[in-house]
Amino acid sequence: MAVLTAPERKSPAPPSPRGRRTGGPRRTPPLVLAFVLVPLLVEALWVFWPALQGFYLALTRWDGVSAPRFIGLDNFREMAHDDVFRSAAGHTVLWLVLFGGLSALLGLAAALLLQQERRGVGFYRAALFLPVVFSLVATALVWQAIYQPDGVLNQLLESVGLGSLRHAWLADQDTALYAVIVPALWRQIGYVMVLYLAGLKGIDPALYEAAKVDGASAWQRLRHVTLPQLRSVNAVVLSVIVIDSLRSFDVVWSLTRGGPYHSSELLSTYMYSTAFQSLRLGYGSALAVVIFVLAFGVICSYLVRAFREAD
Amino acid sequence: MTNQHTGRRRFLAGLGAAGTTALLGGCVTSTSSGKSSSKGAVTLQSNLSAPQAKAAMEDIIAAYGKKGSGSASLNTVASETFRTQLPTYLTSANPPDVYTWYPGSVADAYAKKNLLLDLDEVWTSSPDLKRYSKALNSLCTASSGKKVFVPTTYYWWGMFYRKSNFAKWGVSEPKSWDDFLDLCDKLKSKGVAPIGLGAGGNTAWVASAWFDYLDIRINGAEYHRQLLAGKHRFDDPEVRKVFDRWQEVLPFFDPNGAAVPFQDATTALLNGRSGMMLIGTFFADAAPKNALDDIDFFRFPVIDAKVPLAEEAPTDGYFASARTGRRDHVFDLMRYLATPEAQEIYIKGSSGTVLPCNPDAKDAGTALVTKGRKHIEAAAEITQFFNRDSSDALQPTADTALTKFLAKPKSIGGILTDWQRDAEKIWNA
Repeated sequence: MAVLTAPERKSPAPPSPRGRRTGGPRRTPPLVLAFVLVPLLVEALWVFWPALQGFYLALTRWDGVSAPRFIGLDNFREMAHDDVFRSAAGHTVLWLVLFGGLSALLGLAAALLLQQERRGVGFYRAALFLPVVFSLVATALVWQAIYQPDGVLNQLLESVGLGSLRHAWLADQDTALYAVIVPALWRQIGYVMVLYLAGLKGIDPALYEAAKVDGASAWQRLRHVTLPQLRSVNAVVLSVIVIDSLRSFDVVWSLTRGGPYHSSELLSTYMYSTAFQSLRLGYGSALAVVIFVLAFGVICSYLVRAFREAD
Repeated sequence: MTNQHTGRRRFLAGLGAAGTTALLGGCVTSTSSGKSSSKGAVTLQSNLSAPQAKAAMEDIIAAYGKKGSGSASLNTVASETFRTQLPTYLTSANPPDVYTWYPGSVADAYAKKNLLLDLDEVWTSSPDLKRYSKALNSLCTASSGKKVFVPTTYYWWGMFYRKSNFAKWGVSEPKSWDDFLDLCDKLKSKGVAPIGLGAGGNTAWVASAWFDYLDIRINGAEYHRQLLAGKHRFDDPEVRKVFDRWQEVLPFFDPNGAAVPFQDATTALLNGRSGMMLIGTFFADAAPKNALDDIDFFRFPVIDAKVPLAEEAPTDGYFASARTGRRDHVFDLMRYLATPEAQEIYIKGSSGTVLPCNPDAKDAGTALVTKGRKHIEAAAEITQFFNRDSSDALQPTADTALTKFLAKPKSIGGILTDWQRDAEKIWNA
């Protein structure tokens, strides 16, 4: 988190005593080279190589047993006519907007609310952060019990006289996706809150004092001091949210497996079930490539813009 | 300080070396053709990870070791991991020797790819396997005509209910489809959900039992197997008849049937909140001991008397990797697994609701199991279950189609068209 609180880059760096920049090309010590190359090799073996193979598999038809057969872009052609893919993509966009938007908004709100050092504030921060500590699969089990037809939620509705709203939340195509978003959101808000809290800590209090002296209202201070100062954190939050949205899998899989009949299917769950249940590993890899391109595209375009603004 | 440096350097070098090995051996798409080593104990990869079943397997392995003709080591893997990893096991250069799995089309799919060990020699040399029924013989024969599987136990599906509850409600076992509908009517009038299902949560596959049974009652087991093998279409009028019949009983299904997993649905059955349930005997594993004696079942009602009587009785057993280097040891273990002794050890150690495949082996001896054995013996044809008669890959297409049918029975036409389209993708994969 400490990395995020360092927006003071703008102050000129103290001149390096040895003036490495001006010293011309120097031989890099072999130890340094080893520290760079060995991790690179490890990364290449365990990340880049399998990833490249994934790209290759996307161009094949493979059942996991026989040898893969090269079929060119047929998998992507099939995707263009695949209703389930289209609805999964739609759900993923909805997920990105709801899960991403709400967790950013609510996380920021929680951070603003809990940034002042008051008595007991530590307890609330801890309480909000606690869900992040739990594994999402364990979280999902708890929520499954809550959503059961005889579960806590339905009993609660009954007891306040809203019995007509009783529902099989996870088994109804109209509510399944939203019922799955809630536990994911419950967890993500705490995480985003911590990111924003760190960012808020890094804002110079003198800015607020100056704004107060100039007669700025609380809203104006938020709008013109806090939010612009949080820009660097926003980049991180956005990346985290986009990546987390696209890879959201565990909570959906353990609650609904993308069902009932694909109504809570995300690209990630569709990829998994295609590859490892239907054993169509080629088509599954093609879906993975699409997910990768989406995540990479969104994040790259944002980072490029952010860096351009910084220059 | 220097020590630390060399330590770290050595560690990194080790990582690099480990990585290189991974590269050499880790080309995921390659099919290697190695043989497993010929020394040491036969390795048995088991998916029976439930505590009782796992302990029972350990007992079998211990008893086999004591016999002195060979030794085996058991490796129990969580069943979901086992299912997804099985193709990897079988295609790896140094595979485990023997696996717990299913006979029929599932084993045949691997046999067609030359991944399974030819067990003809076991079947001809074992006095126990010679006494196995004809149905089991053909079930374990691959399409090439070779035996590839040794079955050991099976269980059955039926309409389970609690005797005390049926007595309390004043109802009895139905003999025909119309009786069955009357029974449902009566139960509903008493405020009980007549039919429990349990196709929610992560057990959507339970609904396939209804599809299987209606299909083997209306179209027969032969048609059912052909349908699952892709020789008929899911949007054919024959399949439509299955769903027309299903719609007659759909109003009697527990409204929570598609929302709760089968474990919760069987709890509801035992608590008397639902009247009966089409389920396999495995549900009794989790039933309280005092309820076990109160559990009874009846045959899924016959719909068309002209159709030969078929029942679902999924068979479990073992096959072996074609790449094993311990062929003779594997044969010896397989012969042992087919003996009454081995099967009785398993039945004693596990929950005791399974039946032995060896006709000379004793079952658990309870009234329920005795009735179950008769129930299967009366059948002219045996089917396994949807995924076992087709493939695990086809099962999700059924789950999607059937849960959609349960929610929107009116749109059955579109559901069957989609099912056919999804199934074709699997068959052509």
